[in-house]
Amino acid sequence: MTVLQSLKNFVRSKSIHVAYVDVGSCNGCDIEVLACLAPRYDIEQYGIFVHNNPREADVLLVIGAYTPGWEGKLEGLWEKIPDPKVAIAIGNCPISGCLFNRPHTLVDPPVAKHIPIAAQVPGCPPRPTEILSAILSVAPTVFKDYEVRK
Amino acid sequence: MTKRTVDVSIPVGPVHPCWKEPARVKCETRGEFVLSAEVELGYMKKGIERIMRGRPWQEVMFLAERVCGICSVIHNMVFIEALEKISAIAVPERAALLRVIVNELDRMQSHILANFSYCYTIEHETLGMYLLDTREKVMDELERITGARVTCAYIVPGGVRFDLRAEDALHLRASLEALEKDITRYMGMFEHGPLIALRSRGIGILTKDAAQEACAVGPTARASGLPESDRRLRHPTYQKLGFTPVSREEGDNFARIMMRFQEVLQSIALIRTCLDTLPEGPIRGGGIPGEGEVAYSGEAPRGELSYFIRTDAAGRVVEISIQTPSIMNIEACCHYMLKGVASLADVPSTFVSSDPCIACTER
Amino acid sequence: MPLSIVYYAKEFFRGEWARKFLAAKTAPLVTPTYFRNYPELTGKTCTHHLFCMMACPAPGAIDVVRTPEGWMPRIHVGHCIRCGLCVEACPNGVLRSGRILESMFYDNTKLSFSFRIDVDTERCMGCGNCAVACPVNKLIDSQMSHGGRASTDDLLLKVNEGKCQVLHVEKCTGCKTCEHHCPNEAIHVARLLEAVHAPEDEL
Repeated sequence: MTVLQSLKNFVRSKSIHVAYVDVGSCNGCDIEVLACLAPRYDIEQYGIFVHNNPREADVLLVIGAYTPGWEGKLEGLWEKIPDPKVAIAIGNCPISGCLFNRPHTLVDPPVAKHIPIAAQVPGCPPRPTEILSAILSVAPTVFKDYEVRK
Repeated sequence: MTKRTVDVSIPVGPVHPCWKEPARVKCETRGEFVLSAEVELGYMKKGIERIMRGRPWQEVMFLAERVCGICSVIHNMVFIEALEKISAIAVPERAALLRVIVNELDRMQSHILANFSYCYTIEHETLGMYLLDTREKVMDELERITGARVTCAYIVPGGVRFDLRAEDALHLRASLEALEKDITRYMGMFEHGPLIALRSRGIGILTKDAAQEACAVGPTARASGLPESDRRLRHPTYQKLGFTPVSREEGDNFARIMMRFQEVLQSIALIRTCLDTLPEGPIRGGGIPGEGEVAYSGEAPRGELSYFIRTDAAGRVVEISIQTPSIMNIEACCHYMLKGVASLADVPSTFVSSDPCIACTER
Repeated sequence: MPLSIVYYAKEFFRGEWARKFLAAKTAPLVTPTYFRNYPELTGKTCTHHLFCMMACPAPGAIDVVRTPEGWMPRIHVGHCIRCGLCVEACPNGVLRSGRILESMFYDNTKLSFSFRIDVDTERCMGCGNCAVACPVNKLIDSQMSHGGRASTDDLLLKVNEGKCQVLHVEKCTGCKTCEHHCPNEAIHVARLLEAVHAPEDEL
């Protein structure tokens, strides 16, 4: 790895862009992610910017239990995110389907079947501090030893 | 040579920076002018009502909460009160008032979040962040009483789960003081901000007739001058508290946001009245749900919420149908407010001002 | 004019200001004690009533396993929704979460289970599988014949005149073994949860 590349990796790992996508949750985790923006938790002080644009994201927060409406679309969205990228499952829904994983349901958990998930934050919904610490623990690994593929 | 303008259909969403949840709004435009709009849903359908069937109340209660994560308390409350109506379970006075306190706290945080979303959409982040910080204080109180921030699971048949402790009541009173001061200040900022007025006043107008025609509910209807649309008027506990709804006449984005600010202040007053009149006594009356069917409505932060429930002899839900407020507001938004919006940049802000909740629309 | 530039430069290059500007973080956030977190064990003895599993609304969130020290409830993170119903339903206070146990003691509240057995006489064939399989019956009359007939009336279930009969519903523990062993889906057990004030003598 060149010095320039490792310098780029270091700088980029200090400014993580986050996008979140709701694939069929109850909204509770969405508002806890929004609450991370609040001055009390202040996600931006760690250099994390919640922009919600997949095209320039490094970290994708997946919320929800994968409804049929997202079939194929979530995979498409995952491909649109430039390398390097990680996905974090927020809440119980992407991990186990939470309460919705019952007979006659329409959802198809876990999300890890459809896109690779790097970290999980259990809880229904998780506290903003839990979400924050999960993003912070994953952030250094995103750009670690990353090299542009020729 | 004159510049030709063509009709373009512009999709907004499903993943849009301003939207918390996936929905797609297709706008037929001529230049910047929006001719008509159509909403496309179907990204969040989980089939909750089908999952609920054949389950006892302790499971359906949590599923009902997860119909909508933002206004979870009212879903819990309407479902449990419908069950109580079926099987004639009486609620102790103290529990009924505690329900109102938690419900109004939930309404406050939902309204503040809606106003934050609007301020964020019109790129007034300062006010948005102030509001989000204020919301955290409300969430603290909610957590102090119920033990959880979002999905509180506070209301059970015949009462509530936890009592309000004396020290928590004192804390609640103190932070209500602070909240009232803050909200009044932010309301003044919103009311007198000249740039906010440019982005909100006279945009996305829903007239009174149109609101009636589109069956708009909740703050969206009350901002268009329909105060009697408030279901809290028909709730016995609120009637005892002497509740009168507030309303505005303008019916534009500005009115809808101001409406929510006013309702937050009203909720603070309601909680104060509850705390003043809170009697000592039991918080649970017991009671097992029985057989029957009922249609019951309550006022969610977004409008009227109706449950139709049929239960069997063991109190299990046999049939359930939920009507959530957002579906009417989304229809009103797309067919009346968005029509004639002068600029495409106002489409997200108008859509957000009607406070759509896609999760409870599709369930 | 130059003075003010000097003033600003002095202000901005102060070490304290620069440190604050570059490295200020909000105070570390602590989870409040009143938050209902994942249930933890209090160390009391579990009596294997399984009320925690019956009250749990989330599929696969809690089970009770046998350990060398005895029965122990185990919470599955990723399934548990932190509702705290298991804490309230437990008759022995084995689990603890946030302030729930404390509140139950102060408010004198509890969740109590009762069971209701419905036998569909149209569908019941009187095979007696339910009565034989019932673990409560096994304790009372271990000699019960395979047809579900017995001489004693102390039983929970008994086949009488070709139909299954519920004799003492208060003895039911809600295990649903009869429901699983019925070949014709004729017997149904409903677990009724009631939120009540605890009776005075149980404190």
